[in-house]
Amino acid sequence: MALSSIRRLSSHLSPQLRQPVLRRGLTTTARRNVASPFLMPALSPTMTEGTINSWKLEAGDTFSAGDVLLEIETDKAQMDVEAPDDGILAKIIVGAGAKAVQVGSQIAVLAELGDDLKSLKMPLENKDTKSGSSASAQEQRVDGKSPRQDTTSSGREDRPSVVESSAKGVPDAAGTWKVYTPSPSVAHLIREHGISELDVSAINATGPKGRLLKGDVLAYLGIINEAYTKELEGRIHQLEKLDLSNIKIASPKKDVGQNAKQTAEQKLVVSFGEVLKAQDKFQTALGVHHPLSTFISKATARANHSLPHVSSAADIFNELLNLPSTTSSRPARFQPKITAASPPPQHSPTAGADILDILIGTVPATSPAVKRVQGIAATGPNVISLTVKGATEEERGRLFLEEMKSSLEKDPARLLL
Amino acid sequence: MLKSLVLRNSPRSLLRPLGAKAGGYAPSTFLLVQRRGLASEAEEHDVVVIGGGPGGYVAAIKAAQEGLKTACVEKRGALGGTCLNVGCIPSKSLLNNSHIYHQILHDVKNLGDVKLNLTQMMKAKEQSVSGLTKGIEYLFKKNGVDYVKGTGTITGEHEIKVNPLEDGDPQILRAKNIIIATGSEATPFPGLEIDETRIVTSTGAIALTKVPEKMVVIGGGIIGLEMGSVWSRLGSEVTVVEYLGAIGGPGMDAEMAKTMQRILQKQGMKFKLNTKVMGGDVESDNIKINVESAKGGKSETIDADVVLVAIGRRPYTAGLGLENVGIEVDERGRIVIDQEYRTKIPHIRVIGDVTFGAMLAHKAEEEGIAAVEYIKKGYGHVNYGAIPSVMYTHPEAAWVGQTEQEVKATGKAYNIGSFPFSANSRAKTNLDTEGMVKFITDKETDRILGIHIIGPNAGEMIAEGVLAMEYGASSEDIGRTSHAHPTLSEAFKEAAMAAFSKPIHS
Repeated sequence: MALSSIRRLSSHLSPQLRQPVLRRGLTTTARRNVASPFLMPALSPTMTEGTINSWKLEAGDTFSAGDVLLEIETDKAQMDVEAPDDGILAKIIVGAGAKAVQVGSQIAVLAELGDDLKSLKMPLENKDTKSGSSASAQEQRVDGKSPRQDTTSSGREDRPSVVESSAKGVPDAAGTWKVYTPSPSVAHLIREHGISELDVSAINATGPKGRLLKGDVLAYLGIINEAYTKELEGRIHQLEKLDLSNIKIASPKKDVGQNAKQTAEQKLVVSFGEVLKAQDKFQTALGVHHPLSTFISKATARANHSLPHVSSAADIFNELLNLPSTTSSRPARFQPKITAASPPPQHSPTAGADILDILIGTVPATSPAVKRVQGIAATGPNVISLTVKGATEEERGRLFLEEMKSSLEKDPARLLL
Repeated sequence: MLKSLVLRNSPRSLLRPLGAKAGGYAPSTFLLVQRRGLASEAEEHDVVVIGGGPGGYVAAIKAAQEGLKTACVEKRGALGGTCLNVGCIPSKSLLNNSHIYHQILHDVKNLGDVKLNLTQMMKAKEQSVSGLTKGIEYLFKKNGVDYVKGTGTITGEHEIKVNPLEDGDPQILRAKNIIIATGSEATPFPGLEIDETRIVTSTGAIALTKVPEKMVVIGGGIIGLEMGSVWSRLGSEVTVVEYLGAIGGPGMDAEMAKTMQRILQKQGMKFKLNTKVMGGDVESDNIKINVESAKGGKSETIDADVVLVAIGRRPYTAGLGLENVGIEVDERGRIVIDQEYRTKIPHIRVIGDVTFGAMLAHKAEEEGIAAVEYIKKGYGHVNYGAIPSVMYTHPEAAWVGQTEQEVKATGKAYNIGSFPFSANSRAKTNLDTEGMVKFITDKETDRILGIHIIGPNAGEMIAEGVLAMEYGASSEDIGRTSHAHPTLSEAFKEAAMAAFSKPIHS
């Protein structure tokens, strides 16, 4: 939406800019001495109307490109409008103080430097499509002069010109084809039927970018129905666009193609009986206490390590060189959750060393307390669970759990040696 | 956001560039230039293109040419995408060389022996491919596109994580705009596991190490017919199994499809239309493909050494991370966009096979350029009514616009003008006279609605038709345009004349 309004802005501005440039650069014939309309500019993509606070110049003043012509106020801001080119402000149509002036409506007439204002042909004032608000804008004019009654512009209604087409707000539609050489078939028809240049300019062009097509001339000649050419253009225009109708959005959760993976939970019951024994052994033999979590993390690492490799050569090098592996090339390591299969018993093993023991010094109070892994039953059966994605991971998950179980249940002491 | 920023700060600058007719949306350039000067922001790109295929690399180069700081992420290890590496380009090398081989084989039938050196033929193919992919790398350097090798995953609205192809840490790219151009992959056939040696997609079909005795092609579309042609010319017995009642895919004019089928049949290819593939048994020395008439009943088994699965392609978005930013796909996996290629997140745009429209490299290219122009200038354009399709069999088939069956369905009166190459002088002297040119025009206005060609170099000739349609030409416009004599293009002109009047040479 914003973009279209930018285009609108440029299309409004361009006629008055293009003309002087064209005339200066390309025309070798005499000046047409026709003034160009100055339209209410859109100063933002969303601007539709504005208030003219003041004109910085008076009618007849000359200006250079960059001079401030007028000040416009919108609901958002107050802004200066600069002259796009050198010229003369031939006439002010909508004076200072006018409110709700529609973007694209004509507010002044500009002429080129050196133009004789007296003999200047004035452009037709635009009949604004949003006539209601335009009329209200005219009522609010403060300078009192009513340019609609301007004598210079009357009696020229029939003059077909670029100026008129720009005043219609469709600068590209009617006249542009004249820039192109008529296509062979069009040229042929024009000559064959002796259509005058003036009449040619009146033919409604339905081709791409306003081109005059054979069908348009045929319709003009009454050989075919004019409504048909428009209908055909409509059909062809439809084909020019990417068909985005009837898009059926895939259900959001489901991923595309290969990505489709379901998650599944895998579980295995494991007993920590052997782990506790090993813990005791370490305690008695070495006087070192290893918390349960150490055993679990060692078992996890070992189980992860034992999994079949699906990784690249790069990982093997990383492994050999002891480099940190990248997360990408290596399949994700499993991180199991361990929970008690049944509610944990009231007495945990440390409860054996009760407060009395500590007080009398048989168990040193400073000894590292058993780090409890939350929710783990040290004595009862526990459940290791995993969340895996997809069929390939399922198999790996199973292998992981079995490895973990076996390392925790069979000689867990080895985990720490 | 950018626009409103500009406006608030300097309303004059908005008027000025437009007034100066500088072309382009100057305010943003102004900001960009400023921003680029700051070292801390150097990491951020204006555009990051994900995918270095014909859509992505063209978009990247265009963006860089427009003065945008651009990066292109590609995980294949070589630029050019499917088209350049395992698609259009290598297949054309094989088509050209197999055609030469086949022609010589027949021309010298009674003069001597011709032997095939398949290894050499494959080497020629690889040379073409590597030359072209390196060419794109050079173009990236020349235009200042950052080429990032790795797998790109969108991790945020302005963030792409690139996992490198080999060693190394993931790289984070920040981007003001993202263009997704991840392309497509061959649709697998349920029940037949692709191994790319015996059950192959187009990727395996361009890299067979020996000429299979018997080849079954599942799918009679463009890819199936091109690859079928290659191996048929090199000596395979090729059977094409097509579910629909016509070859060439749904986009091909029915009359042209029939003509093409007849020509290919004469060349030795076999066709089973209206036939469903029920499954296959892969044995150690043989593959048995079970087929059944699509209209019910009759089933049979076809033996094959190699089976080519060419039933179509599907959008490729694996690992792209669309879910991280909530971008939607449709039922067929195509990323949902609007007419300006924007997803739900306006600065993430999508072009090419991974979204809607025909899966054609040149369509993706056009969209790549248009998407960049939308970013830079606020306006871009692709005319989907004038995108040509080409099938590189021999003779080639090419078309643009609507097919006769499509025009017929509109219920509007139309004219057909056709001209056979057998009446064209150049085709006659070339001893290559199969095929014809066919114009479909609106009966009332004579405007060209579709052009269909089967014939030598049809793929080159269609360009004139595309240009004509782009300009809304009538067949008379072409009929009144001079075409050199003696050329194949005279057939094009004569067919146009046949549409609005009468041809001279027929």
